[in-house]
Amino acid sequence: MFKNNWFIACAFLIPVILTTGCSDKDVPDAENEEEIITKVQLIFSPAEGAPVVVTALDPDGDGPEDIAPSGPVVLAKGTEYELFIKLENTISNEDITEEVEAEGDEHLFFFGFSEGIFNSPAGNGNVDSRADVVNYLDKDVNNLPVGLITAWITGEAGSGTFRVMLKHQPGIKSTTSESTDGESDVDITWTLNIQD
Amino acid sequence: MLIILAFGIHLSSWAQDICANEIQGLVLDLDTREPIPYVTVIVEEERSKGAITDAQGIFKIEGLCQKEFTLVVSHIGYKEARHHHDSYHDHPTILLASDDHLLESVVVEGVYNQSSLQTISIDKLSNEAFSAAQSESLGELAGRITGISTMSTGQNVVKPIIHGLHSNRVLIVNNGVRHEFQNWGIEHAPEIDPSLAGSVEVVKGAATVRYGPDALGGVILINPPKLELGAGLEGTAGVVAKSNGSSGEADLQLSYGSDNLVVGVSGAMVGQGDLQSPDYVLTNTGKQEYSYTSSLRYHRHSFDLEGYYSHFYQNLGILRGSVNGSLEDLANAMESEIPPGTGPFSYDLNNPRQEVTHDLMKLKGIYVWDNQDISFQYAYQLNHRQEYDVRKGTNNEIPSVDLKLATQTFDVDWNHPDLGRVNGNMGLQWLYQDNNNVPGTNTVPFVPNYNVLRAGFFAVERLLAGNTTYELGLRYDFQYNSVRGRAPSNEIYSNELTYSQLTGSAGLKQVFKDRLSFRSNLGLAWRPPNVSELYIFGKHQASIEYGLWRYAYDEEGQISVSGVLSEEDKYVNPEVGIKWINTLEGEGDGNHWELTAYANMIRNYIYTRPAGITNTVRGAFPYFIYDQGDALFWGLDAAYRLELTQYWKLETKASYVWAMNLKEQETFINIPPARVDAGLDYHRKSDFLSSSRVTLGLAYVFRYFQEPRVITVREILEAESEGQDLFARNNEMFDFMAAPDGYFLANLSWSAAVGKWEWSVRVTNLLNRRYRVYTDRLRYFADQTGRNVQLSLRYRI
Repeated sequence: MFKNNWFIACAFLIPVILTTGCSDKDVPDAENEEEIITKVQLIFSPAEGAPVVVTALDPDGDGPEDIAPSGPVVLAKGTEYELFIKLENTISNEDITEEVEAEGDEHLFFFGFSEGIFNSPAGNGNVDSRADVVNYLDKDVNNLPVGLITAWITGEAGSGTFRVMLKHQPGIKSTTSESTDGESDVDITWTLNIQD
Repeated sequence: MLIILAFGIHLSSWAQDICANEIQGLVLDLDTREPIPYVTVIVEEERSKGAITDAQGIFKIEGLCQKEFTLVVSHIGYKEARHHHDSYHDHPTILLASDDHLLESVVVEGVYNQSSLQTISIDKLSNEAFSAAQSESLGELAGRITGISTMSTGQNVVKPIIHGLHSNRVLIVNNGVRHEFQNWGIEHAPEIDPSLAGSVEVVKGAATVRYGPDALGGVILINPPKLELGAGLEGTAGVVAKSNGSSGEADLQLSYGSDNLVVGVSGAMVGQGDLQSPDYVLTNTGKQEYSYTSSLRYHRHSFDLEGYYSHFYQNLGILRGSVNGSLEDLANAMESEIPPGTGPFSYDLNNPRQEVTHDLMKLKGIYVWDNQDISFQYAYQLNHRQEYDVRKGTNNEIPSVDLKLATQTFDVDWNHPDLGRVNGNMGLQWLYQDNNNVPGTNTVPFVPNYNVLRAGFFAVERLLAGNTTYELGLRYDFQYNSVRGRAPSNEIYSNELTYSQLTGSAGLKQVFKDRLSFRSNLGLAWRPPNVSELYIFGKHQASIEYGLWRYAYDEEGQISVSGVLSEEDKYVNPEVGIKWINTLEGEGDGNHWELTAYANMIRNYIYTRPAGITNTVRGAFPYFIYDQGDALFWGLDAAYRLELTQYWKLETKASYVWAMNLKEQETFINIPPARVDAGLDYHRKSDFLSSSRVTLGLAYVFRYFQEPRVITVREILEAESEGQDLFARNNEMFDFMAAPDGYFLANLSWSAAVGKWEWSVRVTNLLNRRYRVYTDRLRYFADQTGRNVQLSLRYRI
């Protein structure tokens, strides 16, 4: 009795599975890529005149092609600038700036530059030590700086480097958290030229 | 506790007349496996019929009127055993446990098809060692068997390595069903709870012929507790507490067996907080797990129907300090004394973590004739894996990997009637698999959606000639894959692939006099490239990986990843391995030894190698490409057990594996180093306890001495800042850190029982040593756990 029922059950089972199986052609849904930043834009905006814009583009994201920072950052000597930073994923056309802004309490930009190339902030930036001065103009919900907007006054003519580092510091961002804390989302160095 | 002995061949015929049935069996001591003479065996239904075992432990009862009956086996100083027997099954072997033994007596029958390859030895833990390790993960438990080691990602994610191979090259068979999960990932551990298992065994040969593709290194068999007919109500309940991680565990198993029906239910749960190394807390290494099973066996004459359902859930934390976004971060994490992000002890589970559920449903029917049997098994498995990474804001609450893998398998096995001195079995195995990315991860899927359809046919035949058994097996597999995925631009790619392969196995088993035996097996195994090995793309932790079909060389010899390739651009051959394994086993007065030597040559071996450095928005990253080489593994396993006195027992074991990529003439990373273990066991019945056992375990693990060159992260960063690509000229294997030094570990345990109560105290890493394990991927960041004191209490109904 049992034996027969079992055989019948199996005979029906296989065709059912085979047919349902082979008709499955589903493609994964398109996802908004929110992990990868492929384009970073620095917009140095003086009180008067056109802003200085430089970008760093890594068109293949995690691909082997190196990121290409566009030319040197060329600023006028003794001039006051506001620096706006824009982050994008060009592969899936996602604006990451908004996300960093919304999650400001877990993000912090660090800046490193050649000693004395700016009149303000003086020194070499806060990548090596958080206590060093950077003029942040924005704040997160905890009244801590974020760094999407910063203020700069250039010094005498000369050249050096300008490093921008975005750290993801969920739960650990504080008045003393360093550039070695958390995970790097951005770490790019540009050549910086100050002209007469 | 189910113990499988390959016990003889099917009986040629049973008399069918009324009162002409007979039963023959063997009674052995559970510990020593020595025959016990003068044991009383009574047939419960026919009280007048009975027998006493002879000097060889054999009994025979003739003239039985019924075909099904219950045997009651008893002897002074031993626990009574009851066994429901029918004439359709093999001669039973009854393993009697002494009164002072923690375990119950067990009955073993020739079990269908458990391993039809008799020329490969099967290794397992002793009953005591198995019970002691049941609260560990499956990987750790299997790792206690000689020749098996572990591949881990911290303490919670542990996979077994058999003779240097793991993941897709080790097949796990749970409850007679191929365990189908996201096995390609080193950080994906098998979702099986050993605390509800009956036994775990390892087949160290290339047993593809019997179990199908992937078994290049070997097979791990997880057997459920046996459902014994006529056993009445049986059960056990236990609790375990561990000091390291302040964890608590509980389990319950109940079964009721009447003459025709056995039902069983079981459940277990674990809660664990942050583990601790000797010097610091390992933040975010807690876990939560629960599982439950229900099983049913219906028996009527020559027919058996088995049903099984199990559900497994786990939520595993991964060390917070192992997360890094760039090479700078990686260098910082590796250089810091205490892993970054270390906080006070907590039960909280934060990202990164893995949440996985696995469901298994199976139905099996077995029909036994006088001289043959056939079984049909259908199983459905659903594996749902969600991995949560440290991400931006609200993305922390959604998984970055979310995969559902549904698998259906249908197996037919036929033990055909003996043809003279030839016996054997053949079967069909059919598998259909559907892997889907669950939408909403906010990141382009790491692996595509795919479907796999596979059908295999096998036959294994044995010829018995005196003391020698010759064995020959053949198998043919066909596999069809359909793949649909998305490139980073969200562009769709798809492909359809077919593979087929003929594999075989040849072996012999020779039994010499003086209890010496020799087994030799040459097995051909294969596996088609896994979908992940073809299509994986992108960053994971501090490295970037490109699958075999995600990169190509342009005219200048530079790697480009612009398109998704197919078999027309780059043909990817399946891996084909041939493993030769030889085991010599001997037994003398109070001692037992086993020596295994093997060589495994794998053509088209798929592995990752460094190919260059790319500068991204996050900074510099080394990138790795999937490539194919020819791998050779060889090694030795040795085990020796000696009863020093009536109370003292010594157990030693050692294993060594050598590995090389012959194509590139270079070594591999993450191969287990040589290891030596010694255990001293003192077992004595005291006045007030019914059993007491003290065990001291010592282990020494050597430094791995085939390690590839070391290039530190700082060296890579330095070269990068000077504009050099360290891998452009020399893309040999490398490691970020030298292999850890050898280390010595000691464990001590005491277990005892009174009546139905049992308890134990176990201390692992007794000396609170600081050490790191070469095959643990988190060895860059943190030490292993420090001393752990475990208390357990169990009640047997």
